[in-house]
Amino acid sequence: MRRYETIFIADPDLQEDARKNLFDKYKNLLVQEKGILIDFDDWGNRKLAYPIKKKARGHYVCVTYGGTGVLVTELERNFRLDDKVMKFMTVLLEKDVTANALEAEIAAAAQLKEVKEATPAATDEAADEVTEAAEADTPEETKAPETETAEAAQEEN
Amino acid sequence: MAFQKKNTKKRFFQRRKVCRFCADSTLEINYKDAKALRPFITERGKIIPRRITGTCAKHQRKLAVAIKQARTIAFLPYVGKLS
Repeated sequence: MRRYETIFIADPDLQEDARKNLFDKYKNLLVQEKGILIDFDDWGNRKLAYPIKKKARGHYVCVTYGGTGVLVTELERNFRLDDKVMKFMTVLLEKDVTANALEAEIAAAAQLKEVKEATPAATDEAADEVTEAAEADTPEETKAPETETAEAAQEEN
Repeated sequence: MAFQKKNTKKRFFQRRKVCRFCADSTLEINYKDAKALRPFITERGKIIPRRITGTCAKHQRKLAVAIKQARTIAFLPYVGKLS
């Protein structure tokens, strides 16, 4: 089994439920074709670097999954037929993965999410520590150039 | 004195460029991070050659692929603005 990542740009002017239907359709298709859905990441509306179908914005979705080449061709065939999908691109991430490893990864990701939701205060504290550390670092950095210039002055003499 | 002056001048103009990705191994080349790829394309959207950016051959190859992928999915422009 291979690990793929597909980014597709959906129509930004779709209604909320129509969009949900569209996403569900591809999620079902993935499962139907014996693929393993790892992550379905909705990036939301974003500005495009160039207009596609005369639209300046697009709704980006990034899907990571495990599957075979057959699944990819089937998925892309459906993208081509669908008017609501403006553009898509599939990238191969890993050539050889086992289904068990992928499932273990999904379980681990779900667990991590649960832990994060359970202890939001702890993560805040961690963030505070990081910023404090960054503040502590900055004075040293400002000192460093001074010594360098002093050395340079000595060299000139 | 004169010799030293010349030396400093030379160092200033011909500073050895280092590959950004070799110097900092935490940096990753990823087509999804358009912001990180921006310094390696011109305003017109062309890929900047490595003799100018100083990127090593290995990373320039990866960079070129990433930029082309980013163009495909409209993270980066094929053609930049004229102005």
